[in-house]
Amino acid sequence: MRIIRNVFRRKLRASLTIFGITIGVFALVVMGAMAEKITLLVDGGTRYFSDKVTVSASSMHGFGAGPLSVNKLQELETIDDVALASADITMTLEKEQGASFGMPSLVIGSDLRGIERESFSVSFRDGRDLEAGDAGKAVVGSDLVRRMDAQVGNTITVRDREFEVVGIMEKTFTMPDNSIFIPFLDAQEIFYHDNLPEIVRTHIDMREITTGITLYPEEGVDPDELAERIKEMMPEYDIVGPARFEEQVTSATRIFTTIVFGVAIISLLVGGLSVINTMTMSVFERTREIGIRKSLGASHGRIIRQFLSESAVIGLIGGISGLLLGWLFIVVANSLGDASGTVVFLLTPRLAVGSVAFAFFLGILSGLYPSWRAARMNPVEALRYE
Amino acid sequence: MNSPDVVMRGAGLHKRYRLGKDNFVNALRGANVEITAGEMVAIMGPSGSGKSTIMHIMGCLDRPDQGEIWLDGKRVDRLGGGELNRIRSREIGFIFQGFNLIPTLSALENISLAAEYAGASRREAMRKAAQALADVGLAGWAGHRPSELSGGQQQRVAIARALVNAPSMVLGDEPTGDLDTGTSREIMSMMRHINQDTGTTFVLVTHNPEVAAVCARIIYMRDGLVVEGDPGQAPGGSSAQG
Ligand SMILES: Nc1ncnc2c1ncn2[C@@H]1O[C@H](COP(=O)(O)OP(=O)(O)OP(=O)(O)O)[C@@H](O)[C@H]1O
Ligand SMILES: [Mg+2]
Repeated sequence: MRIIRNVFRRKLRASLTIFGITIGVFALVVMGAMAEKITLLVDGGTRYFSDKVTVSASSMHGFGAGPLSVNKLQELETIDDVALASADITMTLEKEQGASFGMPSLVIGSDLRGIERESFSVSFRDGRDLEAGDAGKAVVGSDLVRRMDAQVGNTITVRDREFEVVGIMEKTFTMPDNSIFIPFLDAQEIFYHDNLPEIVRTHIDMREITTGITLYPEEGVDPDELAERIKEMMPEYDIVGPARFEEQVTSATRIFTTIVFGVAIISLLVGGLSVINTMTMSVFERTREIGIRKSLGASHGRIIRQFLSESAVIGLIGGISGLLLGWLFIVVANSLGDASGTVVFLLTPRLAVGSVAFAFFLGILSGLYPSWRAARMNPVEALRYE
Repeated sequence: MNSPDVVMRGAGLHKRYRLGKDNFVNALRGANVEITAGEMVAIMGPSGSGKSTIMHIMGCLDRPDQGEIWLDGKRVDRLGGGELNRIRSREIGFIFQGFNLIPTLSALENISLAAEYAGASRREAMRKAAQALADVGLAGWAGHRPSELSGGQQQRVAIARALVNAPSMVLGDEPTGDLDTGTSREIMSMMRHINQDTGTTFVLVTHNPEVAAVCARIIYMRDGLVVEGDPGQAPGGSSAQG
């Protein structure tokens, strides 16, 4: 109580200082939440890719290589150490994908051949997974529920075609949240009509197309080693094993995370400087009070603790209000984004606790020098001070 | 080397302040002083004679450049800062001209702070502070801030603060300097009564002969030296003991 009273002796100044910390923590929370969302997406991807090799039409060769063909499945399965090959079609939910913030929503159709071998499991909030033989059925990821107005038994529209929702997935914090799963044959049809140019269409059988093939290695086989081998065999395709995926993704996210936290930390340091300024002024203004306390026998430790606790309180109040503000912003932004299926922020407990703790320690750190100055004041001179 | 009833003795005290590069003020130049337990003493002398300086040194708020300070038979001028803080908190009470209460704290909190610095728990300090406040007749003013109290009331809070740890010695630097004549008399009579009732030693720096008259003995200072006053001259009382 006494500490808070002292902090707010100069209401405007204290409020401005706290506001400075608030802004810094707000930036840290909001940008951190963006980084957390991406980190989880990447983690999910890393887990998904950890035990398999994916084959897709090389982006470098453009349409030269044309879409993959399901006919490749048999050929790939004859390769040593490949246990199983499964085809899938992945496309964006929007027919014309404009520039978007975050990851685009996806429509995925798998031939379900890998379902027994798949280690990345998703649980269902409602309904069931797709089964072989399903047609016109869809499973919806949790972030798309609101946007699609999906409910088990409902009909949703995907790329102008109607699907009956049979399942709604539990939140995974990774890619499936932002995806809709439909049967392979339906996906082929959509992709064939919507995504392929006329010229390509005339040369290809709709039932042969696929955009990706997932290879499940035999027990005990290193997927990276397998990926290398397949790459040599079919250089015209993009072959991605766990190592390659991680390498592609982490370099991109590391840059992003560094920028994000850099910006937030700089704004917090500015806040910290303003705490130093405020505390120094406060110590200066309270010279006489310090003299009085010393005349009463206050030890160095007590004086330091008094001023440190004041600067810690400034940091803590700033930290908590920054967190609340950031949380509010994230809730609003996410619910706005939810309607369009782009949930960009994820406020994790470690981020929340970390931001407030950081502000708290920043407050203490900023108070060190002013407190130390207060403690070593000469009491007689401090008492003479007007 | 100290008689048992000497509470404080200063011998050969020197203090010099530096004003400029080669410019010094000799505030004390070998002053000697001795205070007996239970005494009420006034220190008088012209402005700049070193009264405040010697009072700060007697109260362990400052150190002499030369000379010795003995408190309760123990030499203290060589002690470390931590030890001096401890002595100040338990053995000394200060009363100042400008009251020197902390403006953000209530009357009760101002007093309990001194008790806390002397080692009492927050709760014990509050209890002691409430008692001290009642002793100076301000029981009903515990929650008031200094700005909500009159000068006389503020000085009474300061007296309560000086007394809360039952110190060996209370030092006052012109404690009535900011008070009108009537209030000044009230405060002096209160201190005199405390001195007589509890045997607390008081040393008061003053310019006011009326204040000095209440004291049992007067110490005169001039040019950084003590010109010992004759106890017999003090009209306020003939005995230091109450
Ligand atoms: N911190 C200081 N720095 C420089 N000079 C000082 C300081 N403190 C005291 N002095 C000088 O030392 C001398 C003694 O000062 P002191 O305050 O002890 O006098 P005093 O007897 O209390 O005077 P007054 O009656 O005016 O309060 C004075 O000349 C004063 O100017
Ligand atoms: Mg003086």
